Amino acid sequence: MATSYPATAAHGAVTGLANHGTASLTSPLSPAPAYTPVQVRQSFGQPPYPTTTYPVPHPYGPHHVPPPLPMTNNYAPNGTAAAPVVAQESPKKKIEWPDSVRSYVQRSFLPANLDEAVSRPEMEAKLKETISQANDSGVMYTINWETMPLPQQMIKEERARARALPQALQSVQISPPVAARPKSGSKKRKSSELIDNHLNTPTAPWRAPARLEDRVTFNADKRQPAEEPSPPSKNVSKFQKQMEKRQKRFDGGYTSTYRSPSPPPSNGPVVGTCTTLEKRYLRLTSAPVASLVRPEPILRQTLELLKRKWKKEQNYSYICDQFKSMRQDLTVQRIKNDFTVEVYEIHARIALEKGDLGEYNQCQTQLKALYQLGLKGKPIEFKAYRILYFIHTANRTALNDALADLTTAEKGEKAIKHALNVRSALALGNYHRFFRLYNETPNMGAYLMDMFVARERLAALCNICKAYKPDVPLRFITEELYYESDADAAQFILDYDGRHLLEERDGNIVFLTGKAGQLFEAPKSAAFARVDIKGQI
Amino acid sequence: MNSMLEDFGEALADRNGYQLAQTLSPSLPDETLRGIFKSCNAHDVRLILQRNIQRSFPGMMDKNTNNEVQAWVEVYHCYWKTIGEILAIQDSSANGKSSQWAQSSWTKVYQNWHEMLNVLIRGYLNSHFEAWTIPCLYVAGKHLRIFAIKADAERNSSSSLDTGGANFEDDFNPESEKNKQLEDCARQLNRVFNLCLSDRSPLEESRKWGIYYVINLLFKTYFKLNSASLSKNILKALSAGRGDMPPLPAFPKSQQVTFKYYEGVLRFLEEDYAQAEHHLTEAWNLCHKDAVRNKELILTYLIPCHLLTTHTLPSLKLLEPYPRLQKLFLPLSNSIKKGDLHAFDLALLEGEDEFVKRRIYLTLERGRDIALRNLLRKVFIAGGFEEPKEEGAKPVRRSRIPIAEFAAAISLGSQETLEDDEVECLLANMIYKNLMKGYIARERGILVLSKSGAFPGTGV
Repeated sequence: MATSYPATAAHGAVTGLANHGTASLTSPLSPAPAYTPVQVRQSFGQPPYPTTTYPVPHPYGPHHVPPPLPMTNNYAPNGTAAAPVVAQESPKKKIEWPDSVRSYVQRSFLPANLDEAVSRPEMEAKLKETISQANDSGVMYTINWETMPLPQQMIKEERARARALPQALQSVQISPPVAARPKSGSKKRKSSELIDNHLNTPTAPWRAPARLEDRVTFNADKRQPAEEPSPPSKNVSKFQKQMEKRQKRFDGGYTSTYRSPSPPPSNGPVVGTCTTLEKRYLRLTSAPVASLVRPEPILRQTLELLKRKWKKEQNYSYICDQFKSMRQDLTVQRIKNDFTVEVYEIHARIALEKGDLGEYNQCQTQLKALYQLGLKGKPIEFKAYRILYFIHTANRTALNDALADLTTAEKGEKAIKHALNVRSALALGNYHRFFRLYNETPNMGAYLMDMFVARERLAALCNICKAYKPDVPLRFITEELYYESDADAAQFILDYDGRHLLEERDGNIVFLTGKAGQLFEAPKSAAFARVDIKGQI
Repeated sequence: MNSMLEDFGEALADRNGYQLAQTLSPSLPDETLRGIFKSCNAHDVRLILQRNIQRSFPGMMDKNTNNEVQAWVEVYHCYWKTIGEILAIQDSSANGKSSQWAQSSWTKVYQNWHEMLNVLIRGYLNSHFEAWTIPCLYVAGKHLRIFAIKADAERNSSSSLDTGGANFEDDFNPESEKNKQLEDCARQLNRVFNLCLSDRSPLEESRKWGIYYVINLLFKTYFKLNSASLSKNILKALSAGRGDMPPLPAFPKSQQVTFKYYEGVLRFLEEDYAQAEHHLTEAWNLCHKDAVRNKELILTYLIPCHLLTTHTLPSLKLLEPYPRLQKLFLPLSNSIKKGDLHAFDLALLEGEDEFVKRRIYLTLERGRDIALRNLLRKVFIAGGFEEPKEEGAKPVRRSRIPIAEFAAAISLGSQETLEDDEVECLLANMIYKNLMKGYIARERGILVLSKSGAFPGTGV
């Protein structure tokens, strides 16, 4: 069994590459020569494309005729997802997959191990690759499958490398650490490409020509040319030039409705190649261009730079612009990880500090979704802000949603508890408690509370004016409504034409509540009516 | 297939819209569906339809009739294709194959059905179909929504297919990825709404008669999408065109009830409790006596409404047929009656998840005011009467009550100790909200209550 394999495998790999070549030829927008990748075959060194060594169906392959959609469940350890992966491997002669392999596959698809950033097809392709390589090289029984990295880990690592070495496509000579490497004939080259090998392949995994869909679906190649890693090929750079030219035409003020002949929807997200740290924000009007998008390692540097700049310069319009372009780069590359959370959190905090609620709300909406993906960050802090924010915007529906979103454990967390107490104090008109809570707001919640404290003071004044007769000391107002000083309290009353309500008596100022009548009612209604925020959902 | 087309002919002859719509229903017994699907194949389906449908149109084949025939052929062709997709799903699940390979079949069903709706809409716009056929739109709309929900559920449960390819937004939009199909469905239903609204034909043959069915469907969809606020646009468009609209009572009762219910809930969510009560009461009165589930839904919002507008609680008799509502409201309502703040807080906490889910938490929470009012009223009554100033005069309740007495009652009732200032704050609130008449004399530390009706509406 193992002996019959290497030949097939080599064949498969070659056809795989050729397949890819023809595929890109059919792509209407790619002037890149279809056969560039074939060069790889001449030297059996490190291929620039992730080579897959499992058998690919080809017309003249006598060994196996795998159906395009194998339905054999024989080898599926857990029935559903793993079935196609493993079944695809099966040549006519059935292979008994060792339990270790099965449990490896099973482990890969455990919900706990699933990674949002890695799609299922990618995982399946990677699994297939890994297992078939092990099988081809005859190490399937010797490899320690328990310590084998999961496909999602491999893919992520690959991506990281792909970004780290954007240009280093040529010949990266890295010696694979795994011992199981038969060094016989050149045909065996494929078998040497074990996991560690494709870990080093600097190409993004979704470019792998091995994906089942690529061969099954009708549009042979949906990848957009923009994603081609800048290769040595002259044609591609020409293409990029065209793209840039097109881009310039854009900037030059052609009507905004103009769209470049829209490329077919991309198969995967764009991977940026831009290495400049700073970038002005521009709303996208067409598919992103890789050369203008910064990959994650660059973005990480950008974030550090921005943090420093913010501390030093406090230039909000600059910072906001930069953060928006960062968010855009993250989104077009569909990077959703802890770093993404960090970017949004920092932008949200800065926006809060500067009272830019529109921007803050955008970040908050994203953060909510990101936390739901189980990413790390400061969910407690931001869920508390969220509640305060909806109190401010008096958005009952959203507030109800925010409440529904909390777990019992979260309700016990200090920041969230505080926000909930603020909410209930206001709901019951308990201004006494509200202003005590105002004084002890954790984190940056006070920035949010500042936004509605004035209106709550008005509401409380309305209350007090109706309930207390004939007067109260101004001191009482100062303390109840948490003004900095009596002067502040007096000023607030004066601001609403309440001069006649203040009277000096025995060296103390009293507030003639009995005479206030409806004085504060109109301003109160106005204050509650006017909550209109840009960017509000 | 034949019996389906016979029914079609019959319905056409009788001008019976509901019977006609029944022939387009995809929720028929399996064998029936299979029979329809198997009776022809992709090549001859059009031909068979054409021949049979034509037969249902006796008399001369003028250009108009021919157009209508073609339109129906298109409709039934789409219907046939949809059935095929539905059966395909059943087959694959029956064979135990994972739906991985079925390639989001519900999405395909949705697409085919969507196509059918398109053909229908086009038929109406080109006035091939008469207004009496609008129940076809009901069936199309109703199932479009069902298929959309199924398609979304299927897509979300299968792999995390990244579909945001042609999206130029700066941030990703998790909600719309989750409800992609249903959002599209809402757009389609909106088209149907406008199709009905904009019909200028005389009322007797107007598509306007379809409007409330579609509106109800739209409301349902918007609520499901968590964007109930969009319903307001519909109401606005409706009231703008109300002049030449048949009055609501002229529509089937089922449509009236549903519409009133949603209108009430929408007002409820906007905190317009008076209006909410008005609409919900209408819905309640119109509701069929055996529609327990619907009555329960109406009461879920009507009871909190009443609590706020008239400070009344549901009677045991009212709640008797609804064990679920009893569980929901009785603990709260008992604690309010007794003025037991602590029990109220516990009941609110106990039911919080359910209340939040039904969006009544924020409303019920305000019931605490009523509980507090009842507690304070007890203090007032316990204070007894003043010494009569003259013999035989009508006894007068003691109306100057030390704040400390209220403080004691509140602390007992809520089982937490409050500062005097906070007690005053609560009293001020009572006064401000007209639950209590009087004023606080802070200097003297007393609450002066009105001698006539200190607690309005409670008899003292």
